[in-house]
Amino acid sequence: MRSALAQTDLFLRGDGLYAPGRATARPGWWLPAMICGFGPLYGAVMGSFGLDSPERALLMMYSGVKVPLLLFATSVLCLPGFFVLNTLLGLRDDFREALQAVLAGQAGLSIALASLAPVTRFWYFSEDSYRAALLFNAAMFTLATLAGQVVMLRYYRVLIRRRPNHRIMLIAWLGLYAFVGIQMGWLLRPFIGAPGMPVAFLRDEPLSNAYVVVAQLIFGI
Amino acid sequence: MVALLKQLDELLRGRMTSPESLADGRMKLSLRWFVPLAAGLGMTFGFFMGWYAISLYWSGTAPEPERLWQVLASTVKLPLLFLATLVVTFPSLYVFNALFGGKAGFVDTLRLLVGAVTVNLAVAASLGPILGFFTLSTTSYSFMVLLNVALLTIAGFVALGFLLQTLRRLAPPKVEVAERIPRMTPPIATPLHGGTASAPPEFQVVGPAVTDSTIVPADRDLAFGRARTVFQIWVLIYALVGAQMGWILRPFIGHPGLPFEWFRTRSGNFFQAVIVNIQNLLGIN
Repeated sequence: MRSALAQTDLFLRGDGLYAPGRATARPGWWLPAMICGFGPLYGAVMGSFGLDSPERALLMMYSGVKVPLLLFATSVLCLPGFFVLNTLLGLRDDFREALQAVLAGQAGLSIALASLAPVTRFWYFSEDSYRAALLFNAAMFTLATLAGQVVMLRYYRVLIRRRPNHRIMLIAWLGLYAFVGIQMGWLLRPFIGAPGMPVAFLRDEPLSNAYVVVAQLIFGI
Repeated sequence: MVALLKQLDELLRGRMTSPESLADGRMKLSLRWFVPLAAGLGMTFGFFMGWYAISLYWSGTAPEPERLWQVLASTVKLPLLFLATLVVTFPSLYVFNALFGGKAGFVDTLRLLVGAVTVNLAVAASLGPILGFFTLSTTSYSFMVLLNVALLTIAGFVALGFLLQTLRRLAPPKVEVAERIPRMTPPIATPLHGGTASAPPEFQVVGPAVTDSTIVPADRDLAFGRARTVFQIWVLIYALVGAQMGWILRPFIGHPGLPFEWFRTRSGNFFQAVIVNIQNLLGIN
């Protein structure tokens, strides 16, 4: 446990084994392990909104599982395209490092989220509105995403210095990941659990498309 | 299978189109491997494209079971679209290449084009899981059309970049011709041309287009200019025929309001349909 936390500290500082440019020296499973370790902490707290019955406690567990699931499933869908485009731009030799950089970004996001969990719990404690809870979580995710970006850029900067084409792949990854991630998050609802809705792992309604729903909201089609 | 993927990997890594590999003006790309490979990659994207019928079936929007044939239809039609367009256009592409001073011979031109189609379909296939994921959770036809167009556009631009880059590498004048001209200017002094609208400039960063320092820059500029002309004519012909080919082979996605058909009745053409749609949109008619 202590060694795991020490590793996390090193990772946050980008030091020791986690110094940019030392991709080959560290074991590959550390970054996924961090996502699996820290993601559920925030997920559980996010699902603790309106915790007034034993069933709602189940939602904490569901949300805990769903945060890393969201990150991993999105990555898996984007990876084939990322791999082929990297290869085409002549960056295949760096692919291991590029993959570690994007995983590091997600690990950074998970750790930042976990560190914000007490703040979210405090917010739920002081404010009962579901809408406010939605907005607050959106704000926390935005903040954590920024932290993830900082971590990812730390590793990508080394790559870009070596081969400038990595800049294109960085932008491509962010674009693909955001595009798929938004829909994935939409499909994996509920994360917070609207009051009055039954507790379930996934909403019991036909699958729908987040972008179409937003377009309908805006244009009223 | 593994051998096929190895060949594909060689192409994607750029080893088959590196300046050293193209030094003798030949492309080392086996058509026997790459035509089936392109077909397989196209089938992968087409397969995910056809999932829309499954999505409609599941959601009950259009629950007729015969719609599910669309999955098979799209799987077959998508590679057909690209390869049939190549069959129809290849003679003219070859002639215009020869006419404008392209260096590649008959078979090498075919190899180059099959390579570009393979790159196009490989990128499309690699984006297939994203398409499949969205298709299964979407019933909106317009969204699916836009997403398919967007993904194929990305793949198309990447392939165009590959094609232009390879054409330029094949373009430089033969070394012995260049050597006869006294070298007045320092070799490789002029910068590369800027990217054209259809070729993202990033492809010029991959590596210097010409490594042979015996070629005089002025000759190289001329050769690059020719390569660009050939490229522009090729894109024009291929795009026009491809658009009409897509029109004949439709439906690819399958409109929820129309019954399943392997092919729609052959009426009109792509360009007429575009004009009619624009007129409808603007309220002229």
